[in-house]
Amino acid sequence: MSDAAVLAHADDSHGSAEAHVEHATATGIDTKKLVMWLFLASDCMFFGTLISTHLVYRKVYPYGSNEKGVIDIIKTFDIQLTSFSTFILLMSSFLMALAVSAMHKGQIKSFRRACIGVMIFGLIFLTGQVYEFTHFFDGHAVYTFSVRTAAGESISSTYEGPADQTRAKADLARRLFRDHPDWLAVPTTANAADKALAPAAQLARHPDWIVPAMKQVKVEKPSLSMQNSVFGSTFFLMTGTHGCHVAIGVLWLASMYLYSFTGRMQKNMHGAAIDIEICGLYWHFVDIVWIVIFTAVYLVEYIPGYNPVQ
Amino acid sequence: MSSTLVHDKTELSVQRSGLGLPRPDRFVGWRDWATTVDHKKIGVMYGAAACFFFLVGGVEALTIRTQLARPMQHIITAQLYNQLFTMHGTTMIFLGVMPLSAAFFNFVIPLQIGARDVAFPRLNAFSLWTFFAGASLLNFSWFLQVLNIIGLLNPVDGRTDIVPGGGWFGYASLTERPYTGIGTDVWVLSLQILGVASLAAAFNFIATIINLRAPGMTMMRLPVFCWMTLVTSFLIIFAFPPITIALGELLFDRTFGTNFFRVEGGGQPIFWQHLFWVFGHPEVYILILPAMGIVSEVLPTFSRKPLFGYPIIVFSGAVIGLLGFAVWSHHMFATGLGKVATAAFSLLTMAIAVPTGVKIFNWIGTLWGGRVRYSVPMIFSLGFVWEFMLGGFSGVMHAAAPADAEQHDSYFIIAHFHYVLLGGAVMGLLSGIYYWMPKISGKMMNQKLGYWVSAMVIGGINVTFGPMHYLGLIGMTRRTYTYLGDKGWNDWNMVCTIGAFVLGIGIFLCFMDLVVTMFSKNRDCGPDPWNARTLEWSLPSPVPAYNFARLPIVSTRDAWWMDKHAGIPIEYDQADLSHGVHMPSQSWMPMGAGFGFFMFGLGIVLMSAGIPYCGYLAISGLCTTTLFIYLWALEGPGGYHLIVPTESTPPSPTPARSRAPVAVSHH
Amino acid sequence: MSATAHPLSQAELLDQENKRYHAFINLALFLSVFTGVEIVVIFLPFPPAVLFTTLITVSVIKFFCVILWFMHLIYDAPLLIILFVAGLVLAAGTMVALLNLMARSDVDPGILHDSSLVIRATPADQIMNGFTVV
Repeated sequence: MSDAAVLAHADDSHGSAEAHVEHATATGIDTKKLVMWLFLASDCMFFGTLISTHLVYRKVYPYGSNEKGVIDIIKTFDIQLTSFSTFILLMSSFLMALAVSAMHKGQIKSFRRACIGVMIFGLIFLTGQVYEFTHFFDGHAVYTFSVRTAAGESISSTYEGPADQTRAKADLARRLFRDHPDWLAVPTTANAADKALAPAAQLARHPDWIVPAMKQVKVEKPSLSMQNSVFGSTFFLMTGTHGCHVAIGVLWLASMYLYSFTGRMQKNMHGAAIDIEICGLYWHFVDIVWIVIFTAVYLVEYIPGYNPVQ
Repeated sequence: MSSTLVHDKTELSVQRSGLGLPRPDRFVGWRDWATTVDHKKIGVMYGAAACFFFLVGGVEALTIRTQLARPMQHIITAQLYNQLFTMHGTTMIFLGVMPLSAAFFNFVIPLQIGARDVAFPRLNAFSLWTFFAGASLLNFSWFLQVLNIIGLLNPVDGRTDIVPGGGWFGYASLTERPYTGIGTDVWVLSLQILGVASLAAAFNFIATIINLRAPGMTMMRLPVFCWMTLVTSFLIIFAFPPITIALGELLFDRTFGTNFFRVEGGGQPIFWQHLFWVFGHPEVYILILPAMGIVSEVLPTFSRKPLFGYPIIVFSGAVIGLLGFAVWSHHMFATGLGKVATAAFSLLTMAIAVPTGVKIFNWIGTLWGGRVRYSVPMIFSLGFVWEFMLGGFSGVMHAAAPADAEQHDSYFIIAHFHYVLLGGAVMGLLSGIYYWMPKISGKMMNQKLGYWVSAMVIGGINVTFGPMHYLGLIGMTRRTYTYLGDKGWNDWNMVCTIGAFVLGIGIFLCFMDLVVTMFSKNRDCGPDPWNARTLEWSLPSPVPAYNFARLPIVSTRDAWWMDKHAGIPIEYDQADLSHGVHMPSQSWMPMGAGFGFFMFGLGIVLMSAGIPYCGYLAISGLCTTTLFIYLWALEGPGGYHLIVPTESTPPSPTPARSRAPVAVSHH
Repeated sequence: MSATAHPLSQAELLDQENKRYHAFINLALFLSVFTGVEIVVIFLPFPPAVLFTTLITVSVIKFFCVILWFMHLIYDAPLLIILFVAGLVLAAGTMVALLNLMARSDVDPGILHDSSLVIRATPADQIMNGFTVV
């Protein structure tokens, strides 16, 4: 491109102090777009390190923990849910591409529709992640328990709940108390301070005052937490960071959606199209990171031999 | 519209931003500096902070050397000694050398590429204020330590190391919760915040150098300093993510009990070392490449010859940057990596000496046959070549893994990295200070004092760190706060301490001269006191706010030199300047966002100490940062127009004959 | 879009975007199918090496398809591809290096509570390294 043609744009002020002055760039690439690609290259190292941490520890600890039996990844994972989340994210990427395309064509209404679509799909993905994390954290186990009724009988039954015994007991006690508050039995050996509390507070402190005996029979899904294993630490940090990136993306999209109603975008459609495009680049990147995580973290666990418990 | 077209920004009428708030463009005084987006002012602030923290780090170093001057001294406790060497390293690297390099990037790059400012001026200000946030948090720990000593701050874990004491490299498991106090939290969070600042600046500079070059300024006509800035910025954006993750993992281990490096949970401490050095090795190239860039500007100027082998120097710089990512485990030769890994990293480390050596040969080639002027900047740059080479020799000795098994964790390593950091990076930066001070302030520094400073600094470096090679090889180990008197180390330690004080006095005198020069009212050195080669010297000193009245159209390397002496005049863009030159608006938002980071860091540190409600401080810090970023986006770029002198020729260069060979000071 | 010396007219712009729209629809379908293939194939009785290769190949294809089309890289300046690939290569290289640097035998056998997983060095190696078998 000739230098003179470049210079014709070089100091082209548009009169208004608020107008965004556009300078011709030395490479012809928009500067904001260049910086977003640089940021994504940097983010590759960021997620690369997180995924490396996970894979290195997977290699070193085949059971995911330095003690066998702490976690059982295949039982904990729910591949249907995760696959559904993956589809959702891929489709959100498609809608994002449509949103960017609409802005380039100057069709703000189409853009708004596609933008809402991306946000909804992003929120579905995040909901799926939250659901997944809470269920991984809880796990699933079967217990037998016995409880004393108000009449003094002893009933035995089974309970299915979190794999962590303490939480399971507290949860069971709460359910029983809700239906039969009179089954709460304050023992004579309790100290004065505890006896003075309200029943709900007594329950919170002593779940065994309503459920004296509880035994874990079978663990169907071991609980996965950040603290109980190396796998848990690396898994939650990595997918949690990814989830934060998605959340920031949703916030960004919401901001752009609201901004499209202020009338400022219409004054500078070219600039707005670039802004949406870089938002799109970020969103697509978050999607491709998920592609890598889904394969390298979830799917490989199902390959026979990768996981010695299989 | 005419109210936004002014001769001076104080004449502007009140402009309202997209938020309806008045823009701070009309201020002078401290509010001008606080809201500035001008790369020159931001550069000056980086430089001022860097010089201050250099002195802080220097005091820490001199305390260490005083303690070690004689055997079995107990001037300071062992814990304080640990804290001093940790803070000395962290301060010098992150608050000394990096911001001083950033000061030069900020000031010089737009001028050398023929631009009016960097690509994102408010992002530039954000980098500065975030840097201040991180630096403040790190040094605030001294204040918290004093509170602890007088009994007002008692962390819940009962430990008293509130200033970080785990080494600048923070090896796990030492930095885990049971073994170090909240000092480690301070260290982790400060580095995270400083990392954000560095990353933002790096993105800005890459965009600036790639996209904002003047017409005709192709990549291969860029000054070498710009190339080295570009490579350094790429190193930053690729090296800081791993340390961000590693620090995050350590923070999670300490705060949430995860198992990344906690042995009882299955963590592998060696993994911390890997992640840290994946960052740490590119980091040392981040420290040295800007200084190499400065030297590549100074040597040709004072040899009155073009840089020898420009393409090869640029290519070598890029290769050093790239290979810098492949050698990190040479910091871990003593950890039992295994035969293959050790051999591989050893070979790659030796390989990286090759492009470095190529650069040294090219610098010598630049001097060879030139009419050398021994000005103060030249003395420092020549000192760089020599001292960095010595540091490189000891470095190559470390590359041989069997030899390194002897040298590791001994004073030999300390000698090596101080030669390359002090004899290399700091010498290059001092050269840059003396070289560019006329452009920054319009006044030359005291040249006679400068010669004394160079003698003290170069002499001091050699007297302090030369004997450390010997001390290391006869067995003196690093990071020990005292030593027995019967090992034959006593005399040389005293020599090192004396050298350190000489060095400290030299640096202190230099910085005092710098302050005097910056505050002096005279602005009398003219645009080009050195008869230099690159575009910044075609501008008045000090540089006006808009940099270039008319943008230059460049047709060759060293365009200013060619304009003056080779009859290839720089053409200037003939755009219509009746609407003035567009200047970006100033803003409070970057400062607000940076302050939010300080609140966040302090909140987490105090939360770890067990002080109630500090988690809310941390959260409100993050909310503050987010809020200011939103306001930043919503206020819009704004801008006003400055009427500039429209003569189509640059200020006339001083004819070569009438210029004195060396700028003599008149003070 | 880049600030070129000859910006496209509105009609040309619309036409270009519509062609890309069809590319996006096709790509979305393609991605869905390939993700489905991945999920099904891991449960099929192929040898692990085949499964690994398939998964990695399919992921890489999906990865590059999104980058090139959804992220417009194939329509944009080559510099952007170079910048992104640089980061990608560095990250992948670091990952491969780290995986090769840490081995199961580096983990202290005392903390692995299942001795069948411990890979002991052969006596010859141990003597060469100066260690003896405990």
